[in-house]
Amino acid sequence: MDRQRTLGSVLLSAWFWLIVVFMVFPIFVIIPLSFGSGDLLQFPPQQYGLRWYHAYINDPLWMQATWLSFKIALISGVIATITGTMAVIALERHLGRSRVAFTYLITSPIIVPHIFIALGIFIFALRNGLSGSQMLLIGAHAMVALPFVVLIIGASYRQIDPTIERAARVLGAGPMRAFMVATFPSLMPAGVAAFVFAFFVSFDELIIAQFLLKGTETLPMRIWANLQLDISPTVAAVASLLIVVTTVAMAGAEILRRRATQKLAD
Amino acid sequence: MIAALKRSVLIWPAMLLIVALYLVPSFDVIRSSLFDPDLTTRHIDRLIDRPVFMTVFWRTVQTSLIVAFAGALIAWPVAYFINAQPRRSQFLLIFLIFIPLWMSVLIRSYAWLVVLGRDGVVNSAMLGMGLTTEPVQMLFTPAAVQLAMLQILLPIQIVTTYGAMTEIDLDLMRAARILGARQGQALRRVFIPLSFDGAMTGMIIAFMLSMGFFITPALLGGPRDRMLGNLIEVQVAQLNWGFASALGLLLLFGTLGCVIVLRFCGRMALRVLK
Repeated sequence: MDRQRTLGSVLLSAWFWLIVVFMVFPIFVIIPLSFGSGDLLQFPPQQYGLRWYHAYINDPLWMQATWLSFKIALISGVIATITGTMAVIALERHLGRSRVAFTYLITSPIIVPHIFIALGIFIFALRNGLSGSQMLLIGAHAMVALPFVVLIIGASYRQIDPTIERAARVLGAGPMRAFMVATFPSLMPAGVAAFVFAFFVSFDELIIAQFLLKGTETLPMRIWANLQLDISPTVAAVASLLIVVTTVAMAGAEILRRRATQKLAD
Repeated sequence: MIAALKRSVLIWPAMLLIVALYLVPSFDVIRSSLFDPDLTTRHIDRLIDRPVFMTVFWRTVQTSLIVAFAGALIAWPVAYFINAQPRRSQFLLIFLIFIPLWMSVLIRSYAWLVVLGRDGVVNSAMLGMGLTTEPVQMLFTPAAVQLAMLQILLPIQIVTTYGAMTEIDLDLMRAARILGARQGQALRRVFIPLSFDGAMTGMIIAFMLSMGFFITPALLGGPRDRMLGNLIEVQVAQLNWGFASALGLLLLFGTLGCVIVLRFCGRMALRVLK
């Protein structure tokens, strides 16, 4: 009986690690390859060097694309975080019975395929003379990120003890001040996590940008265009940078959020 | 009424985004598929008359079903393993699942390009070990697309299934054991039915996301592995947005129809399990 159980748990943990390797290995194998200095991606690289990183940094097209993506992600991330936080407060405090319906509506873009949303934005832009508009792209990215913001901040908001803010009100603080003093600090970690998430939703988004922009390229569009033609190892360098930056930023945000959640739970 | 409007003012900016950039554009898609500029069934007719589009639709459904179902079977033991660990290590293990989840689909598809290519990691390793003398063609096959989609969607399925498992009261298992059930029996009669809904939800989310895939089949599949999303992209590039919209509606309502059928099958399966 016991032996059977240990065999079972050994198999189970072997399965777990096998699947983790399957999910993680293909991603991280790019990193050593990106340090090769041959003309092609080779495994294992014959010689190591920073050739493809230099190629990335010294190419104005790559740099412009990176900068554009960064700007769009930053602005749409801020918009999504602010509108999302406001929506959470409205949903939790003021909307009463219609709360569930509004939550469904605001979070529903998560399950609609991006290609369908992109198609809608594309037609919307054509009808309203907004083709190529970066403002529209920023708005669309904020909309796509909004559900995640509402879910992340909503989860944190529900753990905050509302009596603290009420106490502040009783003690004479106005509604805004009471919120800023009593609730806002506890909401901050979730807000940062939500912003980081929203930032990367935009930074990684390809299809809406591809349908909407003309003449300018975001970073995913540049990667995409590069993969259609020849697979130059520059993409490996860009991908490696993205992998490291994404992992560090998202892990940092997640740890921050978990710590805050645990603190609130204690 | 005025007071209610005033109090709900905080939700307006979010609703503005949702209405202007989600509801109105979605409505535009419906409109474009039916009006061009007058009411016409031209686009819908073309969809039904030319068998190639329905072939691609069914291929998309088939690929999504394979990926979602295989994912559910793979994810369940993984989630079970995490859920069985002490609380502290659960956090670390779920972190490992999050890392691939954070990467963009583009990067993850590219990774498979690097791994499965002619001069890729797998071929180089096999040549080096003498397992094969010629590089094996792995890219541009249905298997390559399915493998990559599985890897991309697995983290979501694992997290969803695990999330549902954490809600299960493990005392129920203990109670079953005390009442004389063997470990396997308790698992089959108590834990599996209770975790079934979570696994089903994970599977349905994976299925819905996979129906809309476009990057992975374009990069890793051959011309015969194109999915509905790729057709839409081609039509948009040719500025045929009326027909692209008809395809978009097929994607949306086709997915919805399949999800209803899947839910029904899930309920049937659960009844059999119990």
